[in-house]
Amino acid sequence: MLKIKNLKADIENRSILNNLNLEIKPGEVHAIMGPNGSGKSTLSNILSGKKGYDISGEILFENKNIFELETEERAHKGIFLAFQYPLEIPGVNTNIFLKTSLNAIRKARGEKELDAIEFLKLVKLKAKELKFDEEKLNRQLNVGFSGGEKKKNEILQMSILNPKLSILDETDSGLDIDALKTVADGVNSLRKKDNSFLIITHYQRLLDYIKPDYVHVLMNGKIIKSGGPELALELEKKGYENFN
Amino acid sequence: MKEQLKIDFEKLLETSNFSKNNIEIKRKNFDNFIEKGFPNRREENWKFSDLNQIISKNIKNLSFYNDLSKPNKIDQSIYIDSLEHNKLVFVNGRIEKIQFDYEEKNKIEILDDLVLEKSNNTNNSLLFLNNAFVSKYFKLIVKKNYSLQKPVVIYNITNKDLVSKSINLKVDIFLEENSSLKLIEFSNDKSTTNFININYNFDVQKNSILKNYKIDNNSNSNIKYCFNNISQDTNSVSEIFLLSSGSEFIKNEINCNLNGKYSSAFVNGVFNLNETKHHEIKTNINHIVENTKSYQLIKGILEDTSKAVYQGKIFVDSKAQKTDGYQLSKAILLNDNTEFNAKPELEIYADDVKCSHGSASGSLNEDSIFYLMSRGLNYKEAKKLLINGFLLDVVEKITDSEIKNLIKNIMSLKQ
Repeated sequence: MLKIKNLKADIENRSILNNLNLEIKPGEVHAIMGPNGSGKSTLSNILSGKKGYDISGEILFENKNIFELETEERAHKGIFLAFQYPLEIPGVNTNIFLKTSLNAIRKARGEKELDAIEFLKLVKLKAKELKFDEEKLNRQLNVGFSGGEKKKNEILQMSILNPKLSILDETDSGLDIDALKTVADGVNSLRKKDNSFLIITHYQRLLDYIKPDYVHVLMNGKIIKSGGPELALELEKKGYENFN
Repeated sequence: MKEQLKIDFEKLLETSNFSKNNIEIKRKNFDNFIEKGFPNRREENWKFSDLNQIISKNIKNLSFYNDLSKPNKIDQSIYIDSLEHNKLVFVNGRIEKIQFDYEEKNKIEILDDLVLEKSNNTNNSLLFLNNAFVSKYFKLIVKKNYSLQKPVVIYNITNKDLVSKSINLKVDIFLEENSSLKLIEFSNDKSTTNFININYNFDVQKNSILKNYKIDNNSNSNIKYCFNNISQDTNSVSEIFLLSSGSEFIKNEINCNLNGKYSSAFVNGVFNLNETKHHEIKTNINHIVENTKSYQLIKGILEDTSKAVYQGKIFVDSKAQKTDGYQLSKAILLNDNTEFNAKPELEIYADDVKCSHGSASGSLNEDSIFYLMSRGLNYKEAKKLLINGFLLDVVEKITDSEIKNLIKNIMSLKQ
């Protein structure tokens, strides 16, 4: 599904990613762990097409290079990024935003757009699954939401948009145990043979709830070690320094 | 220009049946205007909008005499059809229609041929001009304990026959005790390069409510000034909303005197400007007695080389303890050549008051755009959603839901 080959990224002549290679097959869950400043968020931003980086290498999504694609075109193809810091958008109603987003993606895929009633039915169901307070859906997007609510809102968006590749950028940070479990349940319910996940995290904690197929250690812009779930436990024990 | 002014003023006196007293008052105002001329940037009030320069740059051969003898056709296609309303229609400065079908006739009084009997105390040269040249003015009185069933829409229409003229309008609104009025001013201009000078006087008596929505949304090359004087008695409320968008230049000035205890004033405004448009909102909220409240929220979206100015003044008299005064202005500058000038002024002589002000301007947040695009919206859609959200915040302050919807429609803010 996703193949990253020799990805390099610089920002203002500072090297952030340095020959990064990664392959994610359909249905797989990959976790990337790494210390602060290792390039984790840059990787997720670049996968979603954020501007401002000098990049080289290749990112193939379903065997097509997506370097030239705009952010929204990547979303249309099924790439979703759950933000580390979801933005507050004043004056924009959450429900209406979700509907606009879903219909933009459905339209791009050549599917029928949902009308208000169909959409509300869907969103109600998903909100219930995620124990997301429905009343909040009538509020301005993320405005006045707690950290946990913002993260849950990301997962709600993910479950409504039903992407092929979901990138979770430190979705676990700032979550209490209950919220963490709800978020993990949300992710697990989306695990299907065609849906892949890239989970970016500092801690092994989230991986107790979402079992990854592969764990990668990212340091200084490079994957320095890959392994199974046991690698996360090893990291937790040893710390990042011993991998240097 | 002085020669033209004199010729046109004499022509006005010749063609009208003013009384001796009327003429005397008009002459006094005329002389005052001749002496002061159009305001320029040397006056503090006009330092961000040099009207003298703006007029000479935009209007060639401005003339001041406006022949009101012949009726003008009303372009009815511009009527607001989504809302039942009473109508007062001005075309090229002439009253063409007065229609108050929804109201009890003995509960309102309409005077449409008033002539200025006395001059108000002012040193505002544009009021001198208005007083000198306005021929007939309009007054609406809402009687005690009456709330109008439907809003009143004042249509200010100019058509293509009107070119390089100075138009002066004067409207007085008197709300007796316990009454209420929703007033929409809706302008539609197909004319070119005129100077339109409007003077509203609102007298809001005890326990009365005035809601005033000013909509300047269709693009035109006119230069406008609208002076609003509001006097408020005990426990009265005024709510003003300004959509400042269409004219080449418009300055809305609001002078509000909170003369009665527990009176409150709300001023909310939106600048939505492009091209070379230059708009200003200037407020003077005067807290004269104790326990009064004012709230002002102004937001702007500026594109191309447009410019917006907000000068918001809160004055608190030494007697006006327990005043609550608030103002905030924010602008999004969509490119480097736009300009937003905000000058908050707080003049406070009482010690037990709560007053605050703030102002911010900046460009659109690129991270927010990235966030929205990552959800499938293209750049244009993301930008529009952010801008609409930014402006919607002000529109949501409108307390009348029907009119709020109308304005959302006009601004294409419907989500």
